[in-house]
Amino acid sequence: MADNQCSACVELKFPCKPEYVGVARLAILGVASRMRFSYLDVEDIRLAVGEACTTSVEWAKKNDRSDSDIVMRSEIGTDSLIVDIFDQAGERKEENRADDPDQETENIGALLITLLVDEVDVTSSNGGTHVRMVKHARQR
Amino acid sequence: MNFKMETHSGGTELPTVELQGEVDVYTAPKLKQQMIKLLESNTRELIIDLTKVDYLDSTALGVLIGGLRRIRERDGNMVLVCPNTRILRVFEITGLDKIFEIFTSLEDASESMGKEAP
Repeated sequence: MADNQCSACVELKFPCKPEYVGVARLAILGVASRMRFSYLDVEDIRLAVGEACTTSVEWAKKNDRSDSDIVMRSEIGTDSLIVDIFDQAGERKEENRADDPDQETENIGALLITLLVDEVDVTSSNGGTHVRMVKHARQR
Repeated sequence: MNFKMETHSGGTELPTVELQGEVDVYTAPKLKQQMIKLLESNTRELIIDLTKVDYLDSTALGVLIGGLRRIRERDGNMVLVCPNTRILRVFEITGLDKIFEIFTSLEDASESMGKEAP
């Protein structure tokens, strides 16, 4: 994981529902825009965060946990931005996915995250999932 | 939420779904419903105009892939209009620019189907 000296943290808690994913995107756009990221890098971060939150929302719906919350925490470092997405959307059970029409969309979402950020780590955490994404700032 | 959808059809014009704003997990179901409605009314040629879209995610891509698959099963075709390089990039990095026919203008998309632009 990145050796990142954190200078500030921004945390946002919001309902695990489709209509709030745009709020998370807007918040991370504000955070990333304050750093030494290029315009394209900021767009990449916005899309990656949107995809991570969307996956949480879809699993919450499947697991009947749409009344739970998502916490997004961004650590603003000197050279990189670390974004943690914590959900309480229940277990992501692969065996419950037979003929799942959302499978393709989720695969595209996961592919996008991998391509858009420099590091990604997904772990199960207390009845939900923790996604950590790291984007390194490059010289403009 | 910043999202609008208008469907133009009728006469000799090609049915065109014009999207505006953010197409994401919240708004993509509306696009899906509209596409199902068009397919149920026997639409076999369709243009999706993304010119005024400023954000598009995997949910939207999933809806577009589903629409393309269904329309091709009926020997029809669906093409996209996307002059915005930021949106086009999402298709390129996922490799979906190889699956969809993507044009930079409505005129070019209509011409590819042998019709005039709406």
